Amino acid sequence: MHIPDAFIPIWQGAIYWIIALVFVALALRWARNEMNEEKLPLVAVLAAGIFALQSFNLPVSMGTSGHLVGGALAAIILGSPFAAVFILSLVLIVQGVLFGDGGITTMGANIINMGVIGGFVGFYSFKGLMGVTKSMPISGFVAAWLACLIPALACAVEMYFAGTFPLTEGLVAMGIYHAIIGVIEGFVTVAAIYLITSVRPDLVDTGVKTPAGAQVP
Amino acid sequence: MMDNKTFLIAGIIVALLIGGVAVFMASGDPDGLESTALVVQGQKDLTGATPLDAEIHEEEAGRFAYSAPMPDYSLGESLGSTGGLVAIIVGTILAFLVVFGLAYGLKKASKPVK
Repeated sequence: MHIPDAFIPIWQGAIYWIIALVFVALALRWARNEMNEEKLPLVAVLAAGIFALQSFNLPVSMGTSGHLVGGALAAIILGSPFAAVFILSLVLIVQGVLFGDGGITTMGANIINMGVIGGFVGFYSFKGLMGVTKSMPISGFVAAWLACLIPALACAVEMYFAGTFPLTEGLVAMGIYHAIIGVIEGFVTVAAIYLITSVRPDLVDTGVKTPAGAQVP
Repeated sequence: MMDNKTFLIAGIIVALLIGGVAVFMASGDPDGLESTALVVQGQKDLTGATPLDAEIHEEEAGRFAYSAPMPDYSLGESLGSTGGLVAIIVGTILAFLVVFGLAYGLKKASKPVK
């Protein structure tokens, strides 16, 4: 759901950029306060992994492909939605500047959708679901699915404001495609949380202390 | 438990493997946003396949345009998947270095007590 330059008028892009920069500033503050010897490799590895995953377009039928976003994964593993903003913003800069994946004037909107909305939706739905279900796989799957679907719907609304998509048609198509992409996002997110929790339980910062998700007494 | 260095190296290898596989296996179909653009422009059915000649009509007047050095994760047709592989490796390593560098710099800048 990387919005190209042609899809949003420059002045609207500027508004999204200003909002995005507020969250980027908060994300930089998060990084300054939270970064330590242990987390540094995890943050950087997640960035490399999310970049690679985002380049992998998987077929989702209906003549459409989709790739992982990774916002939920970053926020859940690092225990803060701002972790997602931090990593996704930098990944989006590399993608936009070097590979033309996502525009420059639209980068603010892309940071808001995938980093901010993806990160916050992923983090808080995971936290809420963990409280109820006590199961990492269920919570992680649903959180990642929502963190793929809701940014896509936000993107459809932005496209409506930009005059690029009609509202209903845009919401329906974006919703359907990303509801399917979100299922893949869910599986991969759960697998990645499981893997990272298995090798470095000390790094994972969401109350999930065993791969299955149960709290260690 | 894996130490930091092993974790770092293992993580980069996993990322590069994912990216490498992506170059050869990624779907050429338009992504969700592009597909939606084709649907609203009447070039594609909501649930149908994407026609080969479908092309997104892009508004150009008053929009910013930028030419990336490696558009679409490729170094051009002539280099094919080798070029794609180079682009993905460069991108993955760069994403890693940018995030590592900035996070490291912010860690240094913060008070050493934390």
